[in-house]
Amino acid sequence: MEGVSYQRFPRIKIREVKDDYMKFELRDTDASIANALRRVMIAEVPTIAIDLVEIEVNSSVLNDEFISHRLGLIPLTSERAMSMRFSRDCDACDGDGQCEYCSVEFYLRVKCLSDQTLDVTSKDLLSSDHTVVPVDYSDASSGFDNSTNKGIIIVKLRRGQELRLRAIARKGIAKDHAKWSPAATVTFMYEPDIYINEDMMETLTLEEKRELVDSSPTKVFGIDPENKVIVVDAEAYTYDDEVLKKCEAMGKPGLIEIHAKEDSFIFTVETTGAVKASQLVLNAIEVLKQKLDAVRLSDDTVEADDQFGELGAHMRGG
Amino acid sequence: MNAPDRYERFVVPEGVKKVSYERDTKIINAATFTIEREEHTIGNILRMQLHRDENVLFAGYKLPHPLQYKILLRIQTTSQSSPMQAYNQAINDLDKELDHLKNQFEGELAKHLRNL
Repeated sequence: MEGVSYQRFPRIKIREVKDDYMKFELRDTDASIANALRRVMIAEVPTIAIDLVEIEVNSSVLNDEFISHRLGLIPLTSERAMSMRFSRDCDACDGDGQCEYCSVEFYLRVKCLSDQTLDVTSKDLLSSDHTVVPVDYSDASSGFDNSTNKGIIIVKLRRGQELRLRAIARKGIAKDHAKWSPAATVTFMYEPDIYINEDMMETLTLEEKRELVDSSPTKVFGIDPENKVIVVDAEAYTYDDEVLKKCEAMGKPGLIEIHAKEDSFIFTVETTGAVKASQLVLNAIEVLKQKLDAVRLSDDTVEADDQFGELGAHMRGG
Repeated sequence: MNAPDRYERFVVPEGVKKVSYERDTKIINAATFTIEREEHTIGNILRMQLHRDENVLFAGYKLPHPLQYKILLRIQTTSQSSPMQAYNQAINDLDKELDHLKNQFEGELAKHLRNL
């Protein structure tokens, strides 16, 4: 392909990584790429979720479809999802979606025999594939209290009630149904660029400086030991304009100027646990690449245009 | 009741081309690309990438209707280029950018995990 390249070379700086959480900086690209990544992470990175439920016995208080819906929403470990097939284009099972290449089978068989209420949880789901199991939150890295961890409650049974079912989990994307979303939240913010006019700041009394610092709803500014107004945490700024309004009100427009850097983004990614946060970002890049590849012009389109082009040139007398 | 199936949003029906191309009948070096089953994710990155191209005089996209699962991307270029050339160039550049991004991310991730 001829023509100059207009490619960019974005930079990344990782700040924090946990299994289901990460924060990183993305620089030297524009909002369209940042937003495309965000959108893909939320709605187009595939995961595995329960999609079909056959109920054998259900004498619980919840009706069949209610339970099926709850089963669908349980996050399953989905490291395999990227390499798995979608049921709709699986040749092995002719699209009925029940073969090993495109589905995972689960069984749930629980009956309450005691006088005490029995909690049926995601841990009672028996998987046919040890790589695809309900997400286990008992790993203490996330910090919340796990001492009483029993999985995700599906339904509660009293004496004599029973639940017996078979479930099929399939690969899917959240564009189809939100249960397939690997993302709990994905956000990005523009990095703020805060400029303080030092000369003008000197004309303020300490009292006025305190008022100015306190006018911001989040703690962006502070006062250092030399009584100078400094930026404490630029990223705490929520683009609320409150300090700027305060400057105006004090009759000092231009005392503080804040701009959003248009090529720097701070991403926060939280996952449901279906895939690791770092893997989610990589998968999103991969999915976006596949999408781009799919929108390349096919050869016959180019050919048809070439003929048209010659014809056009001919008609124009060329 | 008569809602379209959910998969209609992202599965290209049989016999339908993912991308079709139509030259403008009046303006030279202008064309509209119809991209089936895509939306803002692809439309916006292509548009912004095309804006970086000096030979592109106009690039814009629209999602005509929320229930018509396609986008229209319109490009006009100078005589130095053509809409098709600009379109291919934009995709290639974006593809390379994402490759770079992937390598960057993997490198930084490995570095970060080593320093823990």
